[in-house]
Amino acid sequence: MPSINAYRRQEPGPWSSCLVFLAAVVLSLAVSALMLKLQGKPALKGIELLFQGALGSRWSIEDCLIKAIPIFLCSLGVAIAFRLQIWNIGAEGQFALGAIGATWAALTFPEQPWFVLLPLMALLAFISGGLWGLIPALLKLRMRANEIIVTLMLNYIAILFLDYLVYGRWKDPSSFGFPMTPTFSASAIVPKIAGTELNWGLAVCLVCGLAMWIFFRFTRMGFELKVSGENIQATRYAGLPYEKLVCFVMIVSGGLAGLAGFLEASATINRLQPSIMVGYGYTAIVVAWLARLNPLTIGIASFLLAALRVGVENLQLELQVPAAFGGIMEGMILLTVLAGSFFNEFGFRIRRRS
Amino acid sequence: MNTALIIPLLAAAIQSGTPILFATLGEILTEKSGVLNLGVEGMMITGALAAFVTAQLTGQPALAFLIAGLVGAAVGGIHAVVCLWFLGNQVVSGLALTIFGLGLANYLGTPLIGQSAPGFSKLAVPFLHRLPVLGPVLFQQDVLVYVAILLVPLLWFFLEKSRWGLHLRAVGEHPEAAAAAGIGVLRYRWIGILGGGALVGFGGAYLSLAYTHLWTNGLSAGRGWIAVALVIFAFWRPGRALLGAYLFGGVMAFQLRLQAVGTHLPSSLLLMLPYGLTVAVLVFASWRNQQTAAPAALGINIEPND
Amino acid sequence: MIRRFAMVLCCLMLALSAGPAFAKDFQVGFVYVSPIGDAGYSYAHDQGRLFIDKMDGVSTSYVEAVPEGPDSERVMLNMARKGYDLIFATSFGYMDPMLKVAQKFPNTIFMHCSGFKTAPNMGNYFGRMYQARYLSGMVAGSMTKSNTLGYVAAFPIPEVIRGINAFTLGAQAVNPDVQVRVVWTKTWYDPTTEKEAAKSLLDVGADVIAQHQDSPGPQEAAQEAGAYSIGYNSDMSAFAPKAHLCAAIWNWGPFYKEVVDAVRNGTFEPKAYWYGMEHGIVDLSPMSSMVPADVQKRVLAEKDAIKSGQVVVFTGPVKDQDGKVRIPEGRAADDGELLGMDYFVQGVIGTTE
Repeated sequence: MPSINAYRRQEPGPWSSCLVFLAAVVLSLAVSALMLKLQGKPALKGIELLFQGALGSRWSIEDCLIKAIPIFLCSLGVAIAFRLQIWNIGAEGQFALGAIGATWAALTFPEQPWFVLLPLMALLAFISGGLWGLIPALLKLRMRANEIIVTLMLNYIAILFLDYLVYGRWKDPSSFGFPMTPTFSASAIVPKIAGTELNWGLAVCLVCGLAMWIFFRFTRMGFELKVSGENIQATRYAGLPYEKLVCFVMIVSGGLAGLAGFLEASATINRLQPSIMVGYGYTAIVVAWLARLNPLTIGIASFLLAALRVGVENLQLELQVPAAFGGIMEGMILLTVLAGSFFNEFGFRIRRRS
Repeated sequence: MNTALIIPLLAAAIQSGTPILFATLGEILTEKSGVLNLGVEGMMITGALAAFVTAQLTGQPALAFLIAGLVGAAVGGIHAVVCLWFLGNQVVSGLALTIFGLGLANYLGTPLIGQSAPGFSKLAVPFLHRLPVLGPVLFQQDVLVYVAILLVPLLWFFLEKSRWGLHLRAVGEHPEAAAAAGIGVLRYRWIGILGGGALVGFGGAYLSLAYTHLWTNGLSAGRGWIAVALVIFAFWRPGRALLGAYLFGGVMAFQLRLQAVGTHLPSSLLLMLPYGLTVAVLVFASWRNQQTAAPAALGINIEPND
Repeated sequence: MIRRFAMVLCCLMLALSAGPAFAKDFQVGFVYVSPIGDAGYSYAHDQGRLFIDKMDGVSTSYVEAVPEGPDSERVMLNMARKGYDLIFATSFGYMDPMLKVAQKFPNTIFMHCSGFKTAPNMGNYFGRMYQARYLSGMVAGSMTKSNTLGYVAAFPIPEVIRGINAFTLGAQAVNPDVQVRVVWTKTWYDPTTEKEAAKSLLDVGADVIAQHQDSPGPQEAAQEAGAYSIGYNSDMSAFAPKAHLCAAIWNWGPFYKEVVDAVRNGTFEPKAYWYGMEHGIVDLSPMSSMVPADVQKRVLAEKDAIKSGQVVVFTGPVKDQDGKVRIPEGRAADDGELLGMDYFVQGVIGTTE
């Protein structure tokens, strides 16, 4: 009587993670097509429109890239935190704080030239986001408070704080009472790359991605981080500085999300307003889990999820599909990747019972 | 804020806290079996939609309530499949479930925004509703409030005094020992997840059947997450969950009433109260929790052995 | 390895993405800030869209729940590139993105709702909802016994503040002792928060609940408490038949038709259109039978007076909460003052933040 036993592989198969991801995308598309059918929309046409909207022209690819920038930065940060098994759900709030920090600089020093103001805004954004990430880290270390809840609650608080500022002291006097700051001065706006709609935030992404790769490849702390994630107990026994790593990781994580907030406020909207919050922090969780610690795969996954958002808009326009459609696909992709990873990590053996 | 307003505030606190109570009890059940299910928000909102649709189609709120439980359990079942069968990371699976559940419910529910469905209304418990203070606060609520209150001792009894509950807790504390004693670890975890999901679904049903009779995208508005926090605050005990849920219901109701009375505080700051309080309460509970009350094997998947 | 895989994936996707869209009919696009089913603001605009959709040679389309900012710019660019002839954007925050798109597509006509910027191919429009609010205030003021009216309001932006003020002035015109209490929910459509807000107002003694919200949550609360309610955006009596007195409603259809005709005839002017009751853009829904006949008569007479221009809402003297005179006696507020209204009139209890 044969039985099937599962055993944990030593090394996950190299082709298996790509295959799993591909299978996840295909399965999610299939489920989404089913969802379209349920609402009486043409399923295949819908999927075609999804691709067409995202990748069908030069402008749409640019749109995907523009949208991928904040997703990429948030995901870098979240991926680092996840590596240490710190569940940073707070990228959304850290994004908001970063935008607030950058806006403060833009509103206080509008006359400064761009090579002074933009770095200042970026620095303040990183610091504000980083501090917002440090709070849950400290609460976790000192009070053993679950960082999932703390970061999530801080998201809500951060967004309300942003509201408070733009409805109150930062409100543009010429905006007829609508909640938005004055438009940033020209030197506070990250410029577009000539001839395209893309902005230089893309360069920031490249720099951060490269920095992350170097960090994990060549530095001691990077090595410690990579190793610590596997087994926290072993980390402590080995004398690695777990507390320091947690703080470092959350500051960097929050700082990167803060940078994303700065870029969004400066380059895309040119001011601060409540609608800057569109959920990049939550999409970053999906990307970070899919792509782990490899900046290149994070880049690809960010682009794909940005493309999903852009494609869904086209779907709305052409087929009047409800906006929540994108959330179904995002969630499905993550669930199927999670389930599929099982086949990465475990092999099967058929045994004959003696 | 004068005393005449306290009584309506308490009554509102109970109403506002009931969906959170259902969800907290559900998550306690799940976590006691050793599984962390962060998909509460997703299960809650799909339950709310299922209840709303059923009530519209059948005109039977009680049936709608039960269907919501089934749907909540079914959505929770996805988490069970991913984590118990495929050993997916429990934290991420729960998050994915929230994203998926919210997307699914909002997508399917978009055509229903702005419609109403038959639901539950407040009733007056005979005699008792005339009591001063307690009367309007406790005895003029809708029937689901009482269902939720009843579930507290029921869950306590199940967990602490019944054999099944003992097995379930064993599976959450020492799964290897339980397995060695012949207790089906996976079986009890399935029970924990499905049962918990059903309770969370009930919480969602309350939102669309009793709290309001309407549907909108995002009806759950973060209550699922507050429930997850409250489980920790309650030290995984049903009795304290009741306290916590009503406390939070009260805070949510309070800041609106403060505005109604007339305050100069900006509303954005007032709206932060429930979330700030959640953090404070969580920090306090975790800090005081020297001997951890969490189930020992919470969040850890059982690997297949060779 | 992963690069190869990624390239394969990308090629696959590019292969599936071909073909532009063609424009045949006169194409009109709408951009909404919230889902249309909410029986609220976007719903009212969409009713207008359905009205013009019936016109010969006109096809319409919409995108809903578009966040203000870069997403809206992209949506409008998408529509313009697909050759849409006329695009309506229905929320204030779409103003700057629409301006940017308008500058790129001079042959497309753009109309922005609730804003103030124009361009050679862009106009703006809104409706004088405050006139309907004034009338609804008269109804509320006549029906209240506790002299406390409750107002569940979404966000402290000028149009909401303006509506609250007009409502208060209308109520005070029939009942000088009324007070209006305001609770901010910071959401356009969340029935649970809106209902709870209404309950909190009922608890402090309000017996008529009005709202600047898109969900019928406050209506439900009023009916459950045995109080009265005033609806918004559309007639909400289906949700609270025992409470609903009347509603301040939008009627965009005829205006949209006017714009479509003007663009097709070439007579379109890129200016500010702020029509009121005389054009039928805003109206008071039929009053419920619970409103006594003499009150109805008085309100309808006032409505006619507003339509004919005899009565102008926001004619001084109007004082703010601190007693300061904001609109002097005998003068009517001009459009600029109305568009930027950021203070509450006397009789309103609440903050504007």
